[in-house]
Amino acid sequence: MPFAAFLKSTFIIGLLESAPLMLAAVGFTLIFRLNGFINIGYAENATLGAYLAVTFNAILGWNFYISIIPAALLSGVLSVLTYLIVFRPAMKRGVGKTEMIILSVGVSFFIRYGISLIWGSRLYHFDIAKTHYLSFFGMGITSTQLICLGLALIIALGLYLFIYKTTYGETMRALADNEELAMIAGINPIKVSVLVWFLSGVAGGLAGIFTGVFTWVNTGLGWHMILVILLVAIIGRVGDVRGALIAGAGVGIITTAVTLVTQPAYGVVALLVIFIAILKFRKVRV
Amino acid sequence: MGQILSGYYIYMLSILLIFIALATILHMQFGLTGIANFGLSGIWGFGMYSCALIILKLNIPFVLAVILATVLTGIISLPIGRIILDLDNQAVLVGTLAFLAIIETLVISEKWLTNGVLGYGPVNYPFNFGTYTKFVYFLIILIFTIVLMFYARKLESSPPGRLLLSIQDNEPLSQSLGKPTFRQKLVFFTFTSALAGFFGAIAAPVYNFVFPKYMGPDITFTLWIALILGARKRIFGGLVGVLATVGLFNVVLETVVPIPSQYAGILYNAKYFLYGLTLILVLMFRPSGILGDKKRSKNIKNIGKFEKMEG
Repeated sequence: MPFAAFLKSTFIIGLLESAPLMLAAVGFTLIFRLNGFINIGYAENATLGAYLAVTFNAILGWNFYISIIPAALLSGVLSVLTYLIVFRPAMKRGVGKTEMIILSVGVSFFIRYGISLIWGSRLYHFDIAKTHYLSFFGMGITSTQLICLGLALIIALGLYLFIYKTTYGETMRALADNEELAMIAGINPIKVSVLVWFLSGVAGGLAGIFTGVFTWVNTGLGWHMILVILLVAIIGRVGDVRGALIAGAGVGIITTAVTLVTQPAYGVVALLVIFIAILKFRKVRV
Repeated sequence: MGQILSGYYIYMLSILLIFIALATILHMQFGLTGIANFGLSGIWGFGMYSCALIILKLNIPFVLAVILATVLTGIISLPIGRIILDLDNQAVLVGTLAFLAIIETLVISEKWLTNGVLGYGPVNYPFNFGTYTKFVYFLIILIFTIVLMFYARKLESSPPGRLLLSIQDNEPLSQSLGKPTFRQKLVFFTFTSALAGFFGAIAAPVYNFVFPKYMGPDITFTLWIALILGARKRIFGGLVGVLATVGLFNVVLETVVPIPSQYAGILYNAKYFLYGLTLILVLMFRPSGILGDKKRSKNIKNIGKFEKMEG
């Protein structure tokens, strides 16, 4: 492949492939910005979203695009429930930051293996009729997958605009920056927190669905995403939604480039090495 | 009797001992020093794979291979520690998790070396006592585990151990007293990681064939859950936690209670489901674990003695 064409296809495929990642990273970042801890349990919003959508779609026979909506909303509800039942009480008890991460790992295990107990350990596939196979820069893709990537990109950007350009977004940012001041200004912290956790859960659920469309849905879906999500969030400076979008795109492009040259496993390794270098270089206070 | 000594029970008990040793190492790293190592199973797995590779590829005898694997694990832990240990706790946690992912990905992808997910082996026992082979090997692991716990106990009351405790309590303070906190942490991290590599190396014959899943994040989290459940600041925290989690599920439920094979998958899922629930409940309602926090009175007495000596 000539170099210019290689760059072009790397850029476009990378950008498209990173769309679900960008969406997930924005959701993850929202929670971090608000509550200041790394929520590993966020992975399970993606898993649950994908499982619900695949259930509505492949088992109940709904249209794929219709089944996305309740699945994403329920994934948001799950996120709010974990906040109200586990994380909020834990923060009130003054659980330390490291312990909060371990706690979120517990939540992650609880939900993931709860899903395994309900749905079993087998793989599920989306049932999408009337799809067209396209060749896209030498990569085979179906029309549905292309639409999903587009949707993910649009929703990620929409979420970004919501946070930076609307009054709701402003109250969220205010609460994240200074809770006491926000309360004096008449912001109800619980209401806004619930909204943030809901939006973040919806974004996670959608990201899970859009990832599942490409392969299959199994219980490890969210878990395989979370390390990369974490990486994107940290590279883009945790808590910065803009940074998460840019880093998400960058990560997608780098992975695609390494994958095209060698094999997917090296893409992951390269990414993790870069990630550790960034941790070190910035002396990140995550 | 001979059958029990050479069969599945002794295999499960050997694995249980190795988990107890790893949880104790985690106690030393996290409970004592505050290093949130989420890559422990990767470091352990590195020791296990290096031992298997050294024996089978280079035809080196077992004892020498274990020593080499331990040293190698120490050698790769040093730069890991050098890179992450001066970062804050959350960065240490994600950094070590990333290292685990790198090691695991490479073990799976480098099929020419490790045979990928199909597993690598066989690593045989270094001696043959007929039906007693596994039992004798179990006793050897037992001795090493006991030695490790003695070391952990000694460490807490020794000057380097007290320095480590002080680093966890207030690192800037120990620094301001002129203590080389980073170097101390690095040396300790490298040493305990090499220990984890050692227990990985001696685990290789027990498993016979080594698989990448043995070093996956599930193993790290099992150890974390065990330690938090037991008590992260107590020497026996790891022991109690491993018995209550791995011991209960893998030994008691799987070997004593006969479970029809069609439910085996459900049991596996139920196990991790309950691990997750347990972790949530312990952290919310009894964050210091079953055994609770250590009484520091003994330490205070020691400090008193120390001051008198100086005075």
